[in-house]
Amino acid sequence: MDIFTLAQLLAKIVFVFAVCLGVIPFLVWFERRGSAWIQGRVGPNRVGPFGLIQPFADVAKFFFKEFWTPAEANKWYYHLAPIFALVAPMAALTVIPFGSYLMIGDQIVNLQIANVNSGVLFILAFAGLEVYPIIVAGWASNNKYSILGALRGSSQIISYEISMGLALLSMLLVYGTFDLHSMVAWQGQKFFGFVPAWGVFINPIGALIFWISTFAETNRLPFDLPEGDSEIVAGYHLEYGAMKFALFFMAEYVAMIMASALLVTLFFGGYQLLPGVQAAVDAIVSMNGLSDAAAQNLKAVFQFGCLFLKVAFFMVVMIWVRWTFPRFRFDQVINLGWKMLFPLALANVVFMSVVVYLMS
Amino acid sequence: MDNLDFINSVVTVFGIFAAICGLVLLFAKEPLSCALGLLGVLIFTAGIYAIIGEHFIATIQLVVYAGAIMVLFIFSIMLFNVKHDRESFNWKSPLFLFTSVVTAAVFVLLGRTILQYFDTPVIESQKGIFTREMVTDLGGNSQVLAHSLFTQHFVSFEAISLALLIALVGAVVLAKRKLN
Repeated sequence: MDIFTLAQLLAKIVFVFAVCLGVIPFLVWFERRGSAWIQGRVGPNRVGPFGLIQPFADVAKFFFKEFWTPAEANKWYYHLAPIFALVAPMAALTVIPFGSYLMIGDQIVNLQIANVNSGVLFILAFAGLEVYPIIVAGWASNNKYSILGALRGSSQIISYEISMGLALLSMLLVYGTFDLHSMVAWQGQKFFGFVPAWGVFINPIGALIFWISTFAETNRLPFDLPEGDSEIVAGYHLEYGAMKFALFFMAEYVAMIMASALLVTLFFGGYQLLPGVQAAVDAIVSMNGLSDAAAQNLKAVFQFGCLFLKVAFFMVVMIWVRWTFPRFRFDQVINLGWKMLFPLALANVVFMSVVVYLMS
Repeated sequence: MDNLDFINSVVTVFGIFAAICGLVLLFAKEPLSCALGLLGVLIFTAGIYAIIGEHFIATIQLVVYAGAIMVLFIFSIMLFNVKHDRESFNWKSPLFLFTSVVTAAVFVLLGRTILQYFDTPVIESQKGIFTREMVTDLGGNSQVLAHSLFTQHFVSFEAISLALLIALVGAVVLAKRKLN
């Protein structure tokens, strides 16, 4: 491994994780201000302009709280769970491509941390591991509410993983590859010369099923049964305080970012430029007379910007949904998963295979 | 540090972690700890597969074993709340003594064989038809596997899925005590 490969790899890792963790305070701020706005309250507005510094004050508070562990808890697993909760979605983020490529000198830098041969399966693998922190946290805290939350969480995640996987399968039929870069490249085509060939236009039902499943997978309302505060106080993270709770909190946002990024990559063109941006890039290039390499770098920057905007849109919708819809009952959640989404996703796979067969 | 050295050291580290998890699996008191130990073994083995370049096997290991089967294990352990009956175990029963002697003998023989042959080069006679270059040319592990699964081994693939479906229906029938 030469020094350039190592340096660009480290730079990409630092960049992705810095962006991912760096937007969390602003998401928290948006969640609190947005919820206040939706509910006709004021929300945090004292710390900094528009209360923007509030999340940082929260973090400081978390750090200085007592580092408390329940007496009857299984210490090792109790401390392991929040770490695992944050690691699993972050590991999945490493295969999301966040741009086509950069030209540095005569070297090509592929804008994806890990170019795994079976990229989508890798994400599914780590999405599957996201159930463990919930189970382990609930079990290790030795609290009945926590156990109930853990049981709810694990059954919910298992149920929705099936429809999520089937929705993914229907898109794999269309793209014919596991490689996320090739999927995004495929979506760079145009239908009838002007409609972008995004997955959502080919397979809207799959996109809808996948989107609903991401809500359930990340335990967001209306699927936040594992922490349903009116019934089981806080579910699996009831016994966690200070920074350990904050880790779960961050993990939820990282999982949201990961799920939205995956949704965008599969169904909404990934880093493909939004309509109209290509014209802007061309204009800048011709105005400044940029070389090919510089033009490609500029395009990559805009591609990252477009991916960021698309992911941000879905994050905003997730927050919006949370403060708009009431929570389901648990039997409703399981019924929706097994009796509606699962057969629908299965039928959609059959339908998409017919479509793909007729098109090819 | 060149690439092979790096891979070897990572494999060693993962192997040590996997061994530690295996010991947890063997000696932990709570059933859930055992299950999590097994999960650790699976995850670190997947890590070893990934670092030697077999991404497909690594991801399948994570998806199928760690993501699905172990979740069901742990789910049922938690649901049925298995109590550890360590006290009632009879350490002096003749059956246990007999099996432990046999196991120890097998273990010693295995260890002797491994220590005897561990630096001999890879056996050439047992290899399959695919070399690493061929697999890369044909479009990666997943492509090659899918192709052979859905052409050459199609009938056995369908037979196995049918058998699994029958097992699934059977499990539902058995679990549902009264059929109306």
